[in-house]
Amino acid sequence: MVTSRGFPRFLALVAAIAATMLFITSAQAQDKRDFYKVGVITSLSGAMVYGGNVTRRGYDLWEQQVNKNGGIEVGGKKYKVKLVYADAQSNPQSAADAVQRMISRDNVDFILGPYASSSTLGAAPITERYKVPMITGSAESPSIWARHFKYTFGAVPAVDRTAGEIMTVLAKQRPEIKTVSIIGMNDPFSKSTAEALRDGAKKAGFKVLSYDITPPDADMTPLISKARSLKPDVLAVGGEPNNHIAVVKAMESLSYKPKGLVMHYGVNTPDFQKAVGKAANYVIGATVWDPSLPYKDAVFGTAQNYVKLSETRYNVKPDYTQAASSAAGEAFAAALNTADLPPPLSAADKVKLVDALENVRIKTFYGTIGFEKQGPWYHDNAELKPIVTQMIDGKQVLVGPGDLGTQKIVYPQPSGQ
Amino acid sequence: MDLLLQTLVNGILIGGVYLIITLGFNLAFGVLGVIDFAVGEWVMLGGFTGYWLNHYLGLDPLLFLPVTFVVFVIVGALVYPMLARLLKGRQHARLLMVFVFTFGLSTLLKGGALTAWGFNQRAMDSFFSARSVELAGVYMPQIRLVAFFFGVLITVAVAWMLYRTRFGLSVRAVAQDEGKARLMGVNTNRVAALVYALYAGLTGMAGVLIGVIYTVTPQMGVQYTIFAFFIAVLAGLGYVPGVLLAALLLGLIQAFVAVYIGSAYSLLIVFLSLYLILLVAPRGILNRGRA
Amino acid sequence: MKRATRDLCLFSLAALIIMLVLLFTLDSANLRVVTGVYMWIGLALSWNIIGGYTGYLSFGHAAFFGIGAYTTAILVTVAGWPFPLAVLTGGVAAGVLAALIGGPTLRLAGAYFAIGTWAVALCMLQLANILDITGGAYGISLPSLYSDTVFYLLMFALAWLVFFFTWHYIEHGSFGRKLEALRENELAAEMLGINTNRQKLLAFIVSAVFPGLIGGVYAGWIVFIEPNAVFGSNINDPMILMTILGGAGTVMGPVIAAVVLYLLNRILWINWSADTAYLIFLGFLTCVVVLYAPNGLVGTFKAWLANRRRSLPDTQDDEEAS
Repeated sequence: MVTSRGFPRFLALVAAIAATMLFITSAQAQDKRDFYKVGVITSLSGAMVYGGNVTRRGYDLWEQQVNKNGGIEVGGKKYKVKLVYADAQSNPQSAADAVQRMISRDNVDFILGPYASSSTLGAAPITERYKVPMITGSAESPSIWARHFKYTFGAVPAVDRTAGEIMTVLAKQRPEIKTVSIIGMNDPFSKSTAEALRDGAKKAGFKVLSYDITPPDADMTPLISKARSLKPDVLAVGGEPNNHIAVVKAMESLSYKPKGLVMHYGVNTPDFQKAVGKAANYVIGATVWDPSLPYKDAVFGTAQNYVKLSETRYNVKPDYTQAASSAAGEAFAAALNTADLPPPLSAADKVKLVDALENVRIKTFYGTIGFEKQGPWYHDNAELKPIVTQMIDGKQVLVGPGDLGTQKIVYPQPSGQ
Repeated sequence: MDLLLQTLVNGILIGGVYLIITLGFNLAFGVLGVIDFAVGEWVMLGGFTGYWLNHYLGLDPLLFLPVTFVVFVIVGALVYPMLARLLKGRQHARLLMVFVFTFGLSTLLKGGALTAWGFNQRAMDSFFSARSVELAGVYMPQIRLVAFFFGVLITVAVAWMLYRTRFGLSVRAVAQDEGKARLMGVNTNRVAALVYALYAGLTGMAGVLIGVIYTVTPQMGVQYTIFAFFIAVLAGLGYVPGVLLAALLLGLIQAFVAVYIGSAYSLLIVFLSLYLILLVAPRGILNRGRA
Repeated sequence: MKRATRDLCLFSLAALIIMLVLLFTLDSANLRVVTGVYMWIGLALSWNIIGGYTGYLSFGHAAFFGIGAYTTAILVTVAGWPFPLAVLTGGVAAGVLAALIGGPTLRLAGAYFAIGTWAVALCMLQLANILDITGGAYGISLPSLYSDTVFYLLMFALAWLVFFFTWHYIEHGSFGRKLEALRENELAAEMLGINTNRQKLLAFIVSAVFPGLIGGVYAGWIVFIEPNAVFGSNINDPMILMTILGGAGTVMGPVIAAVVLYLLNRILWINWSADTAYLIFLGFLTCVVVLYAPNGLVGTFKAWLANRRRSLPDTQDDEEAS
């Protein structure tokens, strides 16, 4: 314990700590630059590091290509971009800390947002307070948009606007599909997916035999058995790739194969493919982007070319999450160009940038980007239409809707019950 | 009717999973009083041992059960002296210090595994994966049957060891009263070290089976720690036959709640019933455990 | 003035000075980090009351933090209550939960108590995930009510409150002596006429109310809560580790450990986003401290100091008397 003699020494220590802190904070340089400083906040550690890295690859590829072309063109001059990173650690508090840090210390011009809705929901209130625009390249849960953040935008359409499309396409299927069972994991993204699948199924005229929400870490065999006993034509699952692995393993071990199996997201990820092997075959999913689509732009060229760029740099085939993250940067570039805002952006410039973003409507290699101005999907990308996919022999093929499909759905899947 | 039987089977086989993770743990808990928070981490490391052996040698992961056992017996024997140091300490609440020590150990092992192998999920397949036995419309996953019978076999073997061998006699003597056991000429140190090593070996093997049934990831540990704790308490500490019963009970609760009450509630009801049973019968459902 | 009171005043003054100096020198990002430091000081000291002084290892204290956060969030968003009243109610809710489960759970000894409280925390986590009023897995978003400075001051005030309580009523009060007596030997304490059941329950409730209040302030500060963020192991575990590493049953131990560990965590995060390496370090440190300094860093230091004093009999004692 501190005695009276020790106390002055204690105070001296306090003063020393304070002085050090003062020194660190005053070391910040004046901000005058001819490039854009872009904050990237994504989960570089924690449980969502996988998705966080997908997102980061998307942002990094955008930086690479933009700078290769000389930069973002504003008022006839080109300005390069520089990314600064912060780690959201897959939890809302760290996401908030990270955003605060990059706004106040790095004085970023705008922000490319985190993977997963919980991190986005942690970060968004801070960008709101400091009035810094953010586009999240990958968050898909509708719970973000319902909260009407003025400074947050999204490049991927919310899952409740895409997953239901699977059911619409399946409704046209012959032999006719009549019944569906749905299993959803209890996390924001998966639950929204399950709800969207349920609503889509009802709209398509299917009978929903069961709808079960389960803790993601529970054993899946009881629910699989329940679904099987109801004999649905299609079993639909809302989950992340790791949940899908658990479900498929449980199904395999019970020798159960429904006539159709729907898993909205992640069936084309390497983790899932490697873990379940052949069982990934014939799984039906949805996406908003595919390399085979005829989209293109000046930064990345065609969608095919984007795949090549990704394979060259990362040896990874991009999915729609990565593509959307790259395209998020292009939306910013377009808004900066129309609003004529050279770097660095002042506080007033950032507000102008938000107005410009609201009116952006650009065609990219990822498809069209344009944000909702009102309603339950406020500031989410409204322009992309969902495409239904099926895994066939390790490849994702497009099966609908309408002309977008290049092949017919394989249904019922071989030896499906 | 089919669903009822199927749910019964599912519940029993989930119980089998709980059985294999808790058996060794209950022994260590009951005999040494060691509440090993790292139990889930031994499961995780056992799973990775199986995974990497399978990855590099390509043989069926179940063939590596004996190797894993030996590896973890050695690991356990190396870790035990540290616990012994704590158990012999003079400070109050030394069992709590052991608990905190294993908590640190678990954090260390998890952090190490995450740093080395990342967050990815890894799956391994055995000959029995993706196969089932069908009996009158009820499907039994073969790999889970293997795990279940393995668990029962180990239960019988451990019970036999405890109640029919000289070594078992000394184990029970140590469990009852270590001081007296020492006076009777039992090398209590050696007995305790062997029990802990046995526990680590059994739990490592459980990890291989769990890795085949589900997947392996560095984060998988804590949920098995939860179940090992809870089942050991329900079983009554140190009471080996109780583990079988408690594991089945918990598996059945989980399966039936998921199907007939609502899957969202399955874990809530499992944890709630554990809490209530703990309050009512802290010596286990059979009232046979060490207090 | 009694020596303990004088020291308390000096400490509070020093803390106040540090707090104000930091407030006026740090930028908003670092201010957030320090707000987090105060939060963890408060939480570790709260846990210390039941886990350190009373010797009951609660493994479910996140339940109280979480119920405080959720009560506050629900009252503010659904019922439209003013934030301060909602936070106080959050503290009350945590106290009520502690009172309800404390009676039966505190009858369990040692490890059983730890497991019982853990089960309660897991139940709360599951409950928050499935109830409608908590928003389930989607969580709750609160309005941004105050500036970061307000939350900085609030967290400091709460941390100081727990510190004051611990110092005044436990370390230097009769309540603390009763708790320590029952920790060392419950039966003997009973013989001395201490109503051990009542004292234990009181300690448990007090150690739950503070995290409830802190949880409420946290909800207003972060403005978004979800089940895992407030009921999960990221809240539960550090309280225990900080207290044990710093020295369970000491006032300064948890404070020092909370400052050091949280700052270390943030420094590693900011510079290397290395949270897995942090786990290795934390785990290793825990093992080493438990093995070689089982009373924690401060506890061991105190023991060493007492030992040294005994060997130098005159000089120190004179000074104490002055």
